[in-house]
Amino acid sequence: MTIKNKACIVGIGSTEFSRVSGRSEIHMAVDAAMAACHDAGLKPEQIDGAVKFGTAGQNCTEFTTETDVARCLGIRNLRYFVEAPWGGGACCATVLHAALAVANGMADYVLCFRSLKPASGTVRYGRPTRVPIDAHWSYTMPFGFASPTSWVAMITRRWMHETGATNDQLGWVAIVCRENAVRNPRAIFYGRPMTMEDYYRSPMLCDPFRMNDTCLENDGAVALIVTTPERAKHLRQKPAYIIGASEATAWDSYCMTSYYRDYIGIQEMEEAGKELWKQTGLTPKNMDVVQFYDAFTSLVPMQMEALGFVKVGEGGPFCEGGDRIRPTGELPINTSGGMLSEAYIHGMNMIAEGVRQIRGTAITQIKNVEHVLVTGGLGVPTSTLILGQGR
Amino acid sequence: MALALNKRYLQYFYEPVAESFEDGFWQAIKQKRLVFQRCKNCKEFLHPPRPMCYKCHSYDLEWVESTGKGKIYSWVVFTREVHPLYRVPFEVVLVDMEEKGVRFISNMAEGKPEDLHFGMPVEVVFMPINDEWSLPWFRPVK
Repeated sequence: MTIKNKACIVGIGSTEFSRVSGRSEIHMAVDAAMAACHDAGLKPEQIDGAVKFGTAGQNCTEFTTETDVARCLGIRNLRYFVEAPWGGGACCATVLHAALAVANGMADYVLCFRSLKPASGTVRYGRPTRVPIDAHWSYTMPFGFASPTSWVAMITRRWMHETGATNDQLGWVAIVCRENAVRNPRAIFYGRPMTMEDYYRSPMLCDPFRMNDTCLENDGAVALIVTTPERAKHLRQKPAYIIGASEATAWDSYCMTSYYRDYIGIQEMEEAGKELWKQTGLTPKNMDVVQFYDAFTSLVPMQMEALGFVKVGEGGPFCEGGDRIRPTGELPINTSGGMLSEAYIHGMNMIAEGVRQIRGTAITQIKNVEHVLVTGGLGVPTSTLILGQGR
Repeated sequence: MALALNKRYLQYFYEPVAESFEDGFWQAIKQKRLVFQRCKNCKEFLHPPRPMCYKCHSYDLEWVESTGKGKIYSWVVFTREVHPLYRVPFEVVLVDMEEKGVRFISNMAEGKPEDLHFGMPVEVVFMPINDEWSLPWFRPVK
């Protein structure tokens, strides 16, 4: 028994993505939730379940509670609510938990949401503005090892050493994501192209990562609504069916610094992939478009290897020149610009783009999309999601 | 180059905190000793420390003095400041210690970022941070 075709995403909503939203996280969450209700053709009071992001240490908490949203939307009572933890690792897991709930009658319409304002709020995701309380940070923070960029740079240098991947290849990931964002009016980098020269000109933040290897820091919120296929028939949008979804930790997982195992890669995604392919009976060849979690450029080719799209050592070369990952290529990726160039909403904007690809309403629409893969954050326990046409 | 602290910002030093089972590690650090946790039963090293040996599930654990020697497994070089105490540029190194299976995150006390390479032999040297803490940093083995 699997979750296949037992639940679907019927509503997507978001705020604008900006550097200064001018309003609180709660306000943005409510705006995104209302937009998702309108998109679905639902009254907000029909929502009876919610999945919010949990914590990945105090740095990454969703500060907007499900009660904040319920109160503001006029929802009398939520009968199902849960948190998906681990920052960006949670994005696809929110849909997984929502799907389990509606498929088992625990709720009719589940709202999944993420609201964050690292650009203008008090918690900068790229910086140690809060002192984490978890004891394991004692092995990193006292050494000034205090930014997500540096934590992923550490595994990236080793991965480049092991596989021979080059900075040029990482540059191509950034450039292709930017090309997709340039066409997308929602994107922070709408209309602002990037060349390889621009990539190399961007300042080195933490060697081997330049500014253009890192994702955006912005304000915004995204909400999704999950229900059953039966209920979806009476709603406004063509449903995006949940074909499969997985969560995974791996051997010796820590938060962002899983450095004590044999190889410091992204084994959480390897495990999540194994589960996903086993669960669905599908393979990477069945994926028509992929929204790879791209907090940093290297994570895209690393995931291609971890999920079996290519062999280990082939991820970097696959991205070289950009043609194979462009919308016209054999593996189109991050069609809205990804988190490198559209917006960083902890992967929730990538799921929304996956839904648009299934509906056929994306700005950079891939032809004849049967399956979309969306992946969760790396360096942490993570999650994956396959959306499909549900035939 | 190595790491130079901007001591004007010492008040922002992240004081290590420990779970109960990690206390032995940090107490030793305060005495300028680098120790690692080892299972007395199956001899597996456990770093960072744990309440129980994950391998044989024994609670009989001990603190073993490190040789202080290791090889560089990976590293990064901070070129943009994220914390005012740490003057850029500075290196964070991930060291494969001689103790089997132990990897340790630290800073370089001597040398230049461009001299770092995979497998480079390094040894521990304690650097005073404030009145209470000295931290185990590394320097190239001469």
